[in-house]
Parts: sequence; structure tokens; C-alpha cells
Amino acid sequence: MFKDTPVVREQIKKCVRCGKCRSVCPIFNEYRTENYSPRGQVFMVQMLRDGVLSVSNKVAAKLGDCLMCESCSSICPSAIPVPELVAEARAFITEQRPSTSKKLIFEKLWTSPGLLRNSVAAAGLADSLGLRSLARSLGLTSILPGDLPRAEKILGKIPRRSARSQLAAVMPARGTRKTRVAYFLGCGTDLLQPEIALATVEVLTHCGCEVIIPQDIRCCGVPHLANGAKTVAEKLVIHNLNILSKLGVDAIISDCASCTSTLNGHLYRPATVIDKLKNSSNSAPTLAEKTIEAANWLKGKVFDLTVFLVDELGLPTEIGRLMNSVVVTYHDPCHLVKAQKIKNQPRKILQSIPGVDFQEMVGADTCCGGSGTFGLTHYDLSMKILKRKIESIQNSGAEILATSCPSCTTQISYGLREAGLNIKVIHPVQLLQKALIQH
Amino acid sequence: MERSLLVKELENCLGKDKVISDPVDLMYYSYDSSFLARLNRFIPDVVVTPRSTEEVSAVMQIAYANDIPVTPRGAGTGETCGSVAIKGGLVMDLSPWDTIEEIDVANMQVFVRPGVIHAKLNERLAEYGLFFPPDPGSSIMCTIGGMVANNASGLRAVKYGCTEQYVLGLEVVLPNGEVIVTGGIQSRSIKNVSGLNLTKLFVGSEGILGVITKIRLRVWPKPKGRGIVMAVYPSLDDAPASVLEVYQAGILPSGIEILDQSAINAVNMYRPEINLPQGEAILLFEVDGNPSSVEWEGLKIKEIASRRASQVEWATEPKRMADLWEGRSVVATAAARVRPDGSRVFAGEDISVPLAKVAEALRSIRSLGQKHGVKVVNYGHIGDGNVHTAPVIDPEKPDEVEKANRLVDEIHRLAVTLGGSTTGEHGVGAVRAMYAELEHGPAVKVMQAIKKALDPKGIMNPGKVFLPEGE
Repeated sequence: MFKDTPVVREQIKKCVRCGKCRSVCPIFNEYRTENYSPRGQVFMVQMLRDGVLSVSNKVAAKLGDCLMCESCSSICPSAIPVPELVAEARAFITEQRPSTSKKLIFEKLWTSPGLLRNSVAAAGLADSLGLRSLARSLGLTSILPGDLPRAEKILGKIPRRSARSQLAAVMPARGTRKTRVAYFLGCGTDLLQPEIALATVEVLTHCGCEVIIPQDIRCCGVPHLANGAKTVAEKLVIHNLNILSKLGVDAIISDCASCTSTLNGHLYRPATVIDKLKNSSNSAPTLAEKTIEAANWLKGKVFDLTVFLVDELGLPTEIGRLMNSVVVTYHDPCHLVKAQKIKNQPRKILQSIPGVDFQEMVGADTCCGGSGTFGLTHYDLSMKILKRKIESIQNSGAEILATSCPSCTTQISYGLREAGLNIKVIHPVQLLQKALIQH
Repeated sequence: MERSLLVKELENCLGKDKVISDPVDLMYYSYDSSFLARLNRFIPDVVVTPRSTEEVSAVMQIAYANDIPVTPRGAGTGETCGSVAIKGGLVMDLSPWDTIEEIDVANMQVFVRPGVIHAKLNERLAEYGLFFPPDPGSSIMCTIGGMVANNASGLRAVKYGCTEQYVLGLEVVLPNGEVIVTGGIQSRSIKNVSGLNLTKLFVGSEGILGVITKIRLRVWPKPKGRGIVMAVYPSLDDAPASVLEVYQAGILPSGIEILDQSAINAVNMYRPEINLPQGEAILLFEVDGNPSSVEWEGLKIKEIASRRASQVEWATEPKRMADLWEGRSVVATAAARVRPDGSRVFAGEDISVPLAKVAEALRSIRSLGQKHGVKVVNYGHIGDGNVHTAPVIDPEKPDEVEKANRLVDEIHRLAVTLGGSTTGEHGVGAVRAMYAELEHGPAVKVMQAIKKALDPKGIMNPGKVFLPEGE
């Protein structure tokens, strides 16, 4: 029950409504009225919990006005996980008003890697038809009111081949094997930015890692959480935990900020899932035990790619000079800098590359407005937030924008294209790969 | 006037985008940070967000003609229910109106609209080596309009005073929509004693006399040097005694903060790595000014504090200063977390007592907490006798709420008994209006008369500051 979930039961009462969250929320920053403040989100979840309000289009829309970027929770004096509360409320809304199209997308399509890959590939092949045809075939049109013709442009050109189709399941280390790692290849990187995956594998193997790409891994669950499909997200977390823990690897790496956030329990605490399993009479006791064991095993083993390269492996000493010097700036993905407090490592990678003139931009850690499916469901708002980011990038004088999140990459690339700016968006690992080739 | 007609008239006047009337959206305006607003939902009939003096005036004319209560509001970060429409009517959200109109460097003053955020103003002023000294803990989210309306101050008030000392003039829309400018229509002077001091009347008037639409603030040169002394006292009484000795040595620190034992424990529990030394009190003295005088004052404070303190440290190195100040920085947060199943509540949180009574006040609050079975954490600005008390309860348990309310009532009465005030810097709002008579006696009648003269219909922020005549 929504009311009895630990986060709803324990966290709402901690909000003293001090309003500190007003100073950092990207959505509040655009509207500037209280009905868009994060403390207002906590209040709205409370109203729903207490039955003061019942589920309605308006309430659903209000709770939809959250990027789940963690800006508010990372500054909150009471450490209230606002996005988690919002996710619970959205799940409650879905429960009260099931939507067939959402069901199709989040319960069927986005839980089955093969189906998702085929659909995206189909859209890639039919590029002239673009997202509109994909959306129509998936039933997305019903949750993307009116914005679709514009929103479809965000995705840009869809690659014809996924990363998985280009990479082997096991890739040996070059030279002496130092360690064995699993690469958690998220949906975004796999389907939209396969070149990042290729660079990741190349750099990791270059640094002495044997890289395993677990084939039966599923989505990390962030899109489901954000879209009110919490029970599906829970199933995905359990599925992934159980697979990852059996691989016999030393570490689990991902280049995606959202994937590591989920696996690390920042966005979605595995503890919640485990508690549920423990208390549920339906679940087989063995699954509960196994999942608890898996979650314990996973602790401290999940790394963002940049953290793993800098803190665990140590950056390679033989980095070559880039052919042409470039000015590079870095955008902090919210799920990295706010959810996981990772700020220095991506910058260290960039600064270690000879030929990179690193320039910090103003507001590097402010949200780009992408946030997974948010740009598609809230196009105008998302674009307003993006506009500020694009201006900041432009003012930094950068020729390359580095970031470590597929959703930010997609969103910012779109913003730069629209603004007619010739600034490339890459993951820091791609520049490192380039520099290693130069050596 | 029927609500739908009012909404329509406001929309015609301001445009639809500046009128909030959806019942769900209005609910977000039912609260501020006060305990009272947590226990109740004061939902306004309509919210407007005007962005010009003309718009404010037009709204006031509509409200005046139709006897509709108007509650001006900034960021809604107050702790007194001051910006909440407890009698319904219209909330005027001025926080989106955040233009810094002019930084007049040559005349050391700045013109701002009410919604400007305190920290953002100081960011801009820093470009000119200037600053607006009052420093509330809510700097990153509170508005200058709210600061002026509540005469806010904060931890540097001991040296720099409160907001009122910096307000040179105001543009105010009166309840009938008429616009006046206090401190001289054309004036850019710093000194001005002509006429009755209406500026001072409106500063701290909490929206009961009119709507502040423009603020002329005096700004100061930003000091170049800063240093911190931390002193740990085994006995609580030695802390205020040390403060007095520092004053007597001819030193006026820019901040003197106290953490009593409850606060020390709360900080150490919340962030064990800070590891504050044990004692009945910790004092933090901040000195600022030119670097050589900072050095001299800091060392002198260290010497004076050493007479009574068991441990004293003086630092000017930024990293070390930040470390020493860390306990103070996190204490409000730490207080919120002393009970995993509860939270602090903002009530009885701002009493002010004479310097010589600070130790007594802290001890009495501790006993009152024990008497009512409520955990309390105390910290505050000892330099001016301003004590912040954080009762920590489970706000969803009615018996705990009742205990907290009884405790808070006694804290407010204690302040008056000790020769202090129920509020040092947060204001009265709705939560302390019932103590006006106790605190001010017959002067309340004069306040009521002034209110009546400016707001004959009683539409401006009703129910705040003092109770209406006869209630």
C-alpha cells in the first residue's frame, strides 16, 4: 500500500517546508511560483496519502512536474528523498488509473531487451518516419500529448546497430589481466550511443580489464520508476541483482549515471525491494534470500566508469597528445553529481589528456532538462531548462562538451543542433580512447 | 464578491498567467515553514503574481473595493504563518518579481524589487566590493521583500544590526491602491531626518499596512579579512561572561554564536566526524575587517576566552575557519535529525533575552523541555541574546503536538518574564500575535490605531502581529 511504504510513512513528516529546495529546483526556476516547488511535491504526496486529494488529472500532472534530478534532495536539511516520494505517488496514480499504453511500454517493451532493441532498430531503419512511427506502433502517442512532432527531434538520428550487436560477450584484457569486470550496458548507451560503449570496452581492456557484457541483463528500472511503473522497476532490480552477483567479476561498471545510481541504491534503494521480499508471503523464500545475498555482494562493487578508471585502475600513464588541441567543458549529470556526489573523476580524466584545454562552465551541475523521458512528455518546459544549459556551454568557449549520461548526451546534442552550434557531445571515455590511439 | 467574478476581474487586470485559481494549485499556498501551517491548511481563494507597481496597485484597488483580505508573500520561508492567508482572500506572491533595478555604487545604495533573493543580491554586490550585511540563515532562498517586511537579521546582527538599519526608503502600495515613497520621493541621500520616519514604520510591519514594491537599501564596503575563534566552556555561565569580557575589551565581533550541550550532542550525532569537543557550551566568535585588525582582535578574543574556556582556537586560514564553523553550519540540520522518527518544528524558535539572562534562558528551556517531555536543541546568536530553540517531535502524533504547543507557549512567556521578546528576528505573524498585549501592554492600542489609519477596512494581512481590537 502506498500509505504504508517506508518512504511515505517516514519521510513526509520530516519536511519542515523551509524552502531551501526552491533555490535549486530547475522546474521551480522556470515558473517561480510555489505550486512548482519541491517542498510542494512533498506536500502533494502528503495530500494524496492523507486522502485530502484523490487521484485526478490535475494531481497526476502536478506530480509529473518533477525531473527526479535530486537537486532538492541533495540540498535538503532533512535529507528527504523527494524523487523517491514522487515515484511512489506516481506508482499509486498508475495503480488507481492503469494506462494501457504505459503498461505496454513499461511492462512489456522496456523489460525485454530484445523487443526494445528491435523497435528502436526499426525506427532507425525508417528514419524518415522517425519517432512518430515508433511512437504510434508502441502506443506512446497517448502519453506524449501534442508534443511528439517536436519531441521526436530530440532523439536525432537513431544508430542502425546497437552496441551489443557490435561487441562480444567476453572481451579479453590487453596484456596482463588485472581484473575482471562486468559492463552494465544500459539501454541508452546500447541503442542511442553505441560509440560510447565501444570506447568504454576499448579503454577498459586497454587498462587490463577482462570485460564481460552480461547478455540477459535488463533495463535498470529508472524509466519505470519515473513513469509510475514501480513494481516493474522492482522486478528489474531483483532480476539484475541476481544476474550480476553470479558473474564472478570483481566490479560492475557503467557509463550511465542513472544505471549506477539505481544499482548503487541511490535512486531506488534495493533495501526497499528486499524488505518487501522478506515481508511478502507470495515470494519464494529462496528468491528473497538470494536477492539479499546478491545485494550484499553488490555493495561497493558498482562503479561509474570514470570513478573506476581514476580511483580503482588509475589512469594510464602513456596517454598520447590529441592531434588538435581542443577546448573541453563538462556537464555534470544530476544522477552522478547529486545522487552519487561524483564530480572530480570525469574532470580528472579530461584534464589528464594532453591537448585538452579544460574550461569549467558556469552552472556545470545544473540540470539540462533531459531526464530520460521528461523531454518527451514536457517538451516546452524541458526546452526552457535546456536553453540555459546551452547558453552556458556556449559562453564557456568549448568546442567539445563532455558528459557521462546518455539522456544528457541526447538532450544537449539536440539543444546544440537547434542552436546551430558546432559543439560535439561526448563521454570523457571517448576522448581518452582517442588519446590512447594517438599514443 | 463571488470568487469566480474576482478571478475574472484579476485575470482581466493582470492577464491569466499572473493569476492562480485552480483549487489544487492554491493548496501550495496554504503553508510556510511554521508549525501552525503544518497543523492547518490555510488555502487562499486566489493567488496573484504581479510584476509592477501598477499591477500591485490595481490588485489592491480591486481588493479594497470588495473587502478582500490580501496577504503579501515572498518565498514563504517564514516561521510565523506571516505570509499565509489565515483569513482566506488573496495571496500576493511577490517572489517572482526579482529585479535588481540599480546598483548605485557612487551613492552606496541599491534599488531592488521585493522578490530579489538575498544571496543573489550579495553575489551581484560582490562584483563592486560591496555587500548588504544582514545575513539570515535562509540567504539562498529568502527574499529581500520578506526580510524588510519582517526586519530580519541573522548571525551578523551583533555588529551590523538588522535590516532596518539599511533601508533608506520604500515604495509602498497602500491598501486603497495609492502609491507612496518613504524616505523622500527623489532621495538618494543616506541621511534624512525630514518628516515622520515612515520607512521604519513599514520595515517589520509584516504586510499589515501595505505592500512593499520597491526597496532602496544602503550597502557597505565588503570587509577584506575574516577570522574565527572557537571556545569550549565546561560551564554554561562562563559563555555569556566571556562575551561580556570581549565587549569590555573594546571588540565588537561580527558574529557570536552559541551551541549549548543539546546542540553539541546533536551535531556530533548527525556528523560524528565533526567531533565537537564536549562542554556545556561552545562559542564561535567571528571577526571581520581589515586583515591586521582582524588578527589583533582574534588574538585578543582568544586571550580573553582562554580565561574561562577549556579549549580555544583561532584561525584565519579559510579551510580551518570552515572546519571550526562547520558545527554551527549544520546545527539546524542536525537538530532536525536527533530523532529518526520525527523532525524539528518551527515554533517558539526565536526568543530574544537580555545578554545577562542568556544562560538562565537556556537552562529554563532545557527544564521546560524535560517538564513537557519534548526534546529540544538550542543554539543561536548569543551576541545579541537571540536563542533558537528547536523542539523535536513526531508531528503526526497528536499527543506530541499538544506537548510541543504547551512547551512553546511557556517559552514565549519565559522570554517576556526575563525582560526579552517573543521574537528576535523571525517576526510575530499569526503564531505570536496573542502575546502582543503581554509584551507591549497599552502600546498595542497605538499599533491598532496606526493600522486603522492606514488600513481602515482591515484587509491587509489580517490576524497578524497583534489581535484586532476586542479579540
